[in-house]
Amino acid sequence: MKTVSSLLDEHWYARYKKISKLNIRSSIYDVTNRCNLRCKGCFFFSSGEHEAAPEEMDLHRWETFIDKEMERGVNLAILIGGEPTLCLDRVEAFYKRLPTFCATNGLIKVPRDRFPDMMIGISLWGDEAAEKLLRGKDTFAVSSRHYAGDPYVYYLYTITPRQIGQTERIIRKIRDVGLKVHMQLLSNDEGVDGFSWQPEELSTIRQEMDAMLDAYPDTVISSKYYHEIITTGRMLGRPFGWMECPSVTQPLDHRNPQPRRLTNFIRWASDLQTMHRCCTSETRDCTTCKDGAAHMSWVMVNKRSHMRSTKDLQNWIEVYEMFAKLYQFIPW
Amino acid sequence: MAVVTTDLDRMIRDIARIMIEELKLEDVTAETFDPDIDLVDEVGIDSMDLATVALVLRDQYAVRIDEDDYPKLTTLRLISEYIYKKRTAEA
Repeated sequence: MKTVSSLLDEHWYARYKKISKLNIRSSIYDVTNRCNLRCKGCFFFSSGEHEAAPEEMDLHRWETFIDKEMERGVNLAILIGGEPTLCLDRVEAFYKRLPTFCATNGLIKVPRDRFPDMMIGISLWGDEAAEKLLRGKDTFAVSSRHYAGDPYVYYLYTITPRQIGQTERIIRKIRDVGLKVHMQLLSNDEGVDGFSWQPEELSTIRQEMDAMLDAYPDTVISSKYYHEIITTGRMLGRPFGWMECPSVTQPLDHRNPQPRRLTNFIRWASDLQTMHRCCTSETRDCTTCKDGAAHMSWVMVNKRSHMRSTKDLQNWIEVYEMFAKLYQFIPW
Repeated sequence: MAVVTTDLDRMIRDIARIMIEELKLEDVTAETFDPDIDLVDEVGIDSMDLATVALVLRDQYAVRIDEDDYPKLTTLRLISEYIYKKRTAEA
């Protein structure tokens, strides 16, 4: 039988053992239906999810709900929206109870006296011109001022086809304010002209992402295998799609055969009763979905498939480490 | 000297067979499956694998493995002893 230690040397085996028993159980929560931006291509608004359910306004009900989520085994709350920082009391209800990650556009500063070590991911959609075009505002100017040098913050840089050849400038801007960055690709749910990926563009951006990781290893939190998966949409010869996606809400998952998936994962709407189908928009074409977390999870839940060779297992370890760093289960 | 095969030994082999079949483990048989090998650190099994096996064990032995107990069931022997003890206690 092929064993982990027979595939890895001492160094890699030690890395494997640091993550092998983390047993991360995440779920995603829409904290609010409201946002202080309206970005072109934001799946939440473009697919009408902001109208899927009325927000629960009673903080006590949020607290009771979170306690039940923990009883269900959730040990990582991923807060999205809308814009979660519009409802910091709800964010705090999560943060006080369990490991919590908060996605934000960075326009409202999360007060560190209330949330000293909460991991924050700031969305960024490109350079000043792209931000203004897609989001109506250069958010980096504000968010970088709010969070410069904060060790619990990184930029979640959504790369668009128009960013090809431009990513280094963004990465350097982020490095220069003392923050880290994780890269993902725009899925272009609203079909904004010129923002849908063509195959040759995906190949080019993969090389560029690899080059950024090589050039800025202390700033870029990523792995080349992740770049391969996200740009090709393939893993171990298998195409990504509905029948492979690991990030489908468990009670709504009636796929047969059942693929390997995140245990007990649910994406909750802000009424705390409605469940969304998956971690992103239900209207999205799964075959072209570029969701970064779903692709990372796809790798992570397929560990034994990566025990074919030393290189495959090392790739798996790097992706798992990347996820664990982004959600603060291991240090940077 | 005669080899004494206990109920627990038999159960270890039977559960090894179940694990090999359910998880499609290659290059191993129920007879060669080391009952003390660490299933997570060496075989690469994760909690979803264990949940898959737990479902079959529940049907086979009428014993439910609590999810909270997964972290301590790190070897084939520990899983077998867990099932064996629960069955014995219920008998």
